[in-house]
Amino acid sequence: MRRPFRFSTLGIIQTVIALAIVVGVTVSAIHTINGGLLSPDDWRDLFVYGISQGSLYALIALGYTLVYGVLLMINFAHGDVYMFGAFTGFFVGDYLASSEFLDTNPIVALVVMLAAGAVTSLVVAVLLERIAYRPLRRAPRLVPLITAIGASLFISNTARGFYGDGVKAYPHFEMLEGRIDLLGIPVLKGHALVIASAVILMAVLWWFVNRTRTGRAMRAVSEDKDTASLMGIDVDRIISITFAVGGALAGAAGVLYAIVYNQVIWSMGFIPGIKAFTAAVLGGIGNIFGAMLGGLMLGILESVAPVLLLQGWGVPSPNQLRDAIAFTVLVLVLIFRPYGLLGRPEGK
Amino acid sequence: MNGRYLRSAILTGLVAGVAMIYLVLVGIVGVFAERNVITGYLTLGRMMLLIPALVAGYRIASGDGPFTRRVGSAVLVGAAAGLLFAGFLLAAVALSPDIRDVFNRLSQKTLDYLTFTELGLGSTAGSALYVVLGLVMALIGGLVRITPPRTRRALIGGFAAVVLMTMLEQFLRPRLLDFGWHDFENWLYTSHGLTPVSAAVVFLVGSLGALFWPDARAKTRTQLAAASPSTRKAVRWAALLVVILFVYTLPIIAGSFMTQVLVLVGFYILLGLGLNIVVGYAGLLDLGYVAFYAVGAYFTALLTSPTSALGWGLSFWIALPIVIGLSAGVGLLIGAPVLRLRGDYLAIVTLGFGEIARVLLGSDALKPWLGGPTGILSVPSMIDMDPIRDGSQYTLPIVGEVSGPLATYYPLIGFCLLAAFVAYRLKYSRTGRAWNAMREDEDVAQATGVSIVNYKLLAFAMGAAVGCVGGAIYATHLLSVVPGGFTLIVSITVLAVVVLGGMGSIPGVVVGALALIGLPELLREFAEYRLLVYGAVLVLVMILRPEGLVPDAQRRAELQESHGPDPEPIDRPRGVAGDPLAGEVVG
Repeated sequence: MRRPFRFSTLGIIQTVIALAIVVGVTVSAIHTINGGLLSPDDWRDLFVYGISQGSLYALIALGYTLVYGVLLMINFAHGDVYMFGAFTGFFVGDYLASSEFLDTNPIVALVVMLAAGAVTSLVVAVLLERIAYRPLRRAPRLVPLITAIGASLFISNTARGFYGDGVKAYPHFEMLEGRIDLLGIPVLKGHALVIASAVILMAVLWWFVNRTRTGRAMRAVSEDKDTASLMGIDVDRIISITFAVGGALAGAAGVLYAIVYNQVIWSMGFIPGIKAFTAAVLGGIGNIFGAMLGGLMLGILESVAPVLLLQGWGVPSPNQLRDAIAFTVLVLVLIFRPYGLLGRPEGK
Repeated sequence: MNGRYLRSAILTGLVAGVAMIYLVLVGIVGVFAERNVITGYLTLGRMMLLIPALVAGYRIASGDGPFTRRVGSAVLVGAAAGLLFAGFLLAAVALSPDIRDVFNRLSQKTLDYLTFTELGLGSTAGSALYVVLGLVMALIGGLVRITPPRTRRALIGGFAAVVLMTMLEQFLRPRLLDFGWHDFENWLYTSHGLTPVSAAVVFLVGSLGALFWPDARAKTRTQLAAASPSTRKAVRWAALLVVILFVYTLPIIAGSFMTQVLVLVGFYILLGLGLNIVVGYAGLLDLGYVAFYAVGAYFTALLTSPTSALGWGLSFWIALPIVIGLSAGVGLLIGAPVLRLRGDYLAIVTLGFGEIARVLLGSDALKPWLGGPTGILSVPSMIDMDPIRDGSQYTLPIVGEVSGPLATYYPLIGFCLLAAFVAYRLKYSRTGRAWNAMREDEDVAQATGVSIVNYKLLAFAMGAAVGCVGGAIYATHLLSVVPGGFTLIVSITVLAVVVLGGMGSIPGVVVGALALIGLPELLREFAEYRLLVYGAVLVLVMILRPEGLVPDAQRRAELQESHGPDPEPIDRPRGVAGDPLAGEVVG
């Protein structure tokens, strides 16, 4: 049944804001493109960069979405789970590089590093759930969220204490130098690696969720915990597995990120964590395809938007505002479409 | 001892052992290696290292059962913890130079310290000693748990007193000398730390205090309850007067360094009171509270600094009402679009706003107005309009002349009192009750006629106004504003202050700020672990005591209703005699 049309102050304000944004974006984009500041090749590179960045966001976003699906909570500490994976990848890579294994067998070394990062993050995520979240299953909604914020601080500062304050430079991969031809487009090899790994990991995840018994149990738990438990599913175990899967994906993403950007630091989890959350919300939190789509969209938006919207007006150093653009997207999505692109409104 | 107890004891012991290893790896033990608790006998690092064993012993002995089983479990716990730690230490020594590539806190110095090199033991014997130490500590913990409650209270009180005196050392010593109590200072502390004798005396005083203070307080309470209303009122006013006098003369007692710490605490009390309205009263989790703080500071700087883009150079007191109005407006503007969001989404959106504010403040794009990374300089101080002089100067009765950064103390305390008064009046007003109802259940509140939109907006605007006053004072305190002071960490620190004290509780904010802002200043080595501790505090408070240290009676009832099966009897909030509804506990 359609609701009769009603005037409400908030509704009008929202419509006005929405119109203003659409007009502003269109005008700015036309302005920049007409200005001819960037060559088509530059635009293409920006897009590829965005897709590569976006696949990392997507990998992290999957962890948020999976956990939200089963627990209806935002695991604020997920970004720091990802950071721990990147650190273990670093130590393994450093060891392999010093024994010259990395130069002779780069592909094996890469796989070992990814696996090490994934396992570490998996362990951190499962411990986090067991220690911090499980005692709060039945608490009011704000309580686990505050716990998650605390856990995020605790995990990142633990890494700071363990591994020290400074930036560590990641081992260098000879084979990731230069560009590779992908469907006729020359792509930086590092970006190609990220995109390929992300595609493989997501395919594995899809198979796990849709084709295995455990995956079916996971979907059942996210549909209805109580009924699932009546059907003989061990809900606590499934929740642990969900954290494990999300953690492993985040750990792999951490290692990939660190390889592309060549460095790790204890505070690296926060910003990608928030952005991945944005991606998850953008796609519709709780929805696995939504997280992938949202990640890609956010990555592209972030790399293209500062130039597209601001450069044309001569705003100085628009890339400084990249983070602000990502957060603005988050705010706008939550205000206008809180259930995301592929999600459904709560209460259906 | 049957299998179940055996298993749970060993498991607890291993958890304690892991905690001990964690403390070493994260560096806390090494950092406190130099600080003496009792000179020549105990350092703070070792004490912290052994506390997990103590706590584990205490916990395992808390079940009921025969004496031998409780003591036996504690011994087993200690042995397990000690064994695990000894194994770790041996491994660390064996891997010694290489292990530092990963765990950079395991320096040779720390390893020497951990293996008791000063006693001339080898690393094996030094490691093995931890089995004995862990066992003894867990046994002490277990025995303390088994003693009757009054004795236990005395023992814990004495222990706490010794720890407190250790923490206070760096602040107390110069003050004692200032007052000319040279002999006392000499007796209390040797070169670093307490002497065995003074530690014993401190312990005794602490235990006596812990033994008699609660009784005395309970007795006064009952006497007061029996007294006539007019006496009660008089006593309450007298107590308030004493508190105000104490706060007024505190800078003289505390000295200039501590007063600076108190100013910092004051800022967080003010911010905490503001956030408490949003989070504690209305139940809206705002993670971008720093945005209001920043807005207040930047508006103030723009209006008052002669070198800002506006260049008006207004006086602080003229600018303040304008700033409050503008900030409340910003609060409404941010609040309006996000009100329909559910709790956790609201938290993330506000966090997004906070981050947007941070990025914009430091950006080149807004540099002409906000100064980019260098911020806005030469903000005049509150009293003295002359920007060349370093801060304001004025004379007060008793205290004498106050100047420099200390001059912020009195206005700041004044604003804190004002904010506390407003918060207190709001809490038991019609608005406060509407917020309560809304926090408990939005749908029901709306059905009973509470306008959700208006009350949420009001909470946002009130919180924004208080936060921006904090920002305004901050700007005049530092005589400049820079974007670096307005990060997410501020938001989370304020949240931790409110959560630790107890959401919705006004005295809780003060306690929370003193504990989280004041205490770390006493332990300078702690600086780099501050955030780690804030994180741990948030998690632990939420799991163990979600109502906070100084709980608000009503909030406690709500949290326990959804938490545990048997809520404790609830005290009615005091001071609501004229308002029969306010004391009613919903549900």
